[in-house]
Amino acid sequence: MNIFLRELKANRKSLFIWCIITALFILLGIAKFSAYYNNPAMVAVLTDLPKQVLSALNVQAFNLTTITGFYGLMFTYYALLLTIAAVMWGTDIITKEERDKTVEFSLTLPVTRARLVTSKALAALVNCVALLLFTWVASIVSAVKYQPDAEFFRFLSLCMLALFIMQMVFLAVGIFLGCAMKRYKLATSTAISLLLVTYFFSIITALNSKLDFLKYFSPFKYFDPAAMLNQSKIDIVFVGISAAIVIAGMAGAYLTYTKRDLYI
Amino acid sequence: MNVIEVSHLTKYYGKARGIDDISFQVNEGEIFGFIGPNGAGKSTTIRLLLALIHPTAGSAAIFGKDCIRFGPEIRQEIGYLPSEVFYYDRMKVIDLLKYSASFYPKDSTARMHELAGIMELELNRRIEDLSYGNRKKVGIVQGLLHRPKLLLLDEPTSGLDPLMQRKFFQLIQDENRCGVTVFFSSHILGEVQRLCNRVAIIKEGKIIETADIRTLQKNNYKKVQLMGAKIDPSGFDLPGVSHLEHEDGAVRFFFKGDINVIMQKISSITVSDATIEEPTLEEIFIHYYE
Repeated sequence: MNIFLRELKANRKSLFIWCIITALFILLGIAKFSAYYNNPAMVAVLTDLPKQVLSALNVQAFNLTTITGFYGLMFTYYALLLTIAAVMWGTDIITKEERDKTVEFSLTLPVTRARLVTSKALAALVNCVALLLFTWVASIVSAVKYQPDAEFFRFLSLCMLALFIMQMVFLAVGIFLGCAMKRYKLATSTAISLLLVTYFFSIITALNSKLDFLKYFSPFKYFDPAAMLNQSKIDIVFVGISAAIVIAGMAGAYLTYTKRDLYI
Repeated sequence: MNVIEVSHLTKYYGKARGIDDISFQVNEGEIFGFIGPNGAGKSTTIRLLLALIHPTAGSAAIFGKDCIRFGPEIRQEIGYLPSEVFYYDRMKVIDLLKYSASFYPKDSTARMHELAGIMELELNRRIEDLSYGNRKKVGIVQGLLHRPKLLLLDEPTSGLDPLMQRKFFQLIQDENRCGVTVFFSSHILGEVQRLCNRVAIIKEGKIIETADIRTLQKNNYKKVQLMGAKIDPSGFDLPGVSHLEHEDGAVRFFFKGDINVIMQKISSITVSDATIEEPTLEEIFIHYYE
């Protein structure tokens, strides 16, 4: 409990900064949306763009003149923001002990390394959930002006569930890399590169149907906002895949961290 | 009982040597000196004892339990002072100490304040605002507050001013009188000589000597100095003689072996003055390192 509480306290500032970034992002998005709102002429401009571009940007599936359609578009950007935060928290919470040379303190106390990983993972999880809740509330607050209906709230809740699962996937990946990689400097950059590569996969699968298999390697393709909007469902297969990644990531984290030499 | 039992402990970092086939024992209640220059493997040994790193070969046990398998359990009774102290910078000293104390089942508050008083530590400052020496003081209080049975000290006096060093030695000796075993790693001979009962000398990852500190001084080497205009230094190039040097009619060397050999040799020549004395630990040490 003491490690968990200390980590929460140490991460408050970082959580605060991510909340500000998210708030600014929503504010900018809503400012843009106000131009599309009930304005089909603006959407007509968009439809002139090439089809692949629209598909890659996820614009096609949504009616951008409604607030629900707008959030359908925002989903991808929310996903990027929240997963980047998750993967960075995951690696950082583990590697900072080696980076700041505090392992000679924290791991010479009578604690097992597994306990340290568990407490830190839980603290990072709390951070992720807090940022998600903040995003949820901020989304609702900024939508109120545009007459959100029941469909909007249902869609938004489903989005949040999908975002939560994606956060967990990248948090686990981050923690795994933080635990497994002895070179702490490489861990964060590897984690971010991995995230961007999988995001890139999600874009090229949209451009070329031959590359459809790549979607299994990109958590950004696991949850299709159009399906969440139109059929109110998320694909259970990808929930399963996500759970498997989380379990494998955490198992790998415990195994490698308890076995390896700390970098001092 | 042996508090620390190290047998054939070896650590390689890839191909780089950490320590190579080290064995020694530390008895309960003694202050054991571990001496060697930088890079000899002192910190590596301590980090292996604390299970921060894993041995390539061999094993180490503390309180009769394997350091890796029972790490968290034996660390309940260990106080560790690293050579360079790093804590969470943004915490206050008092919060850091309370945090550390929260990992031990006993209540350490009284002892914590007592130690902070002795070391003249300001409890309400942030770690990041502290000087190197003051961080070291935090380390001393943190390492001792849970009344450990074994102290692992890695170059503990670096950064402390002479007054604090004296207080620190006093503290260590008091702890030792109460039955605490101390493992004292250092490259400063004076402090080892002052505190320790036994000493192991480590060089390039190997232990080259483990001995009682008095035996080391008394039985092994004699420092011989002869004065006289006509002494032929090559006459002393005998087995057991080392560091033979001569200048301005003086001959100096170290001798290990039967002292009578040297006495006979001296009596066969004419000297104006002769001294045979115990070398300081410093001199023994330098001898080992060349």
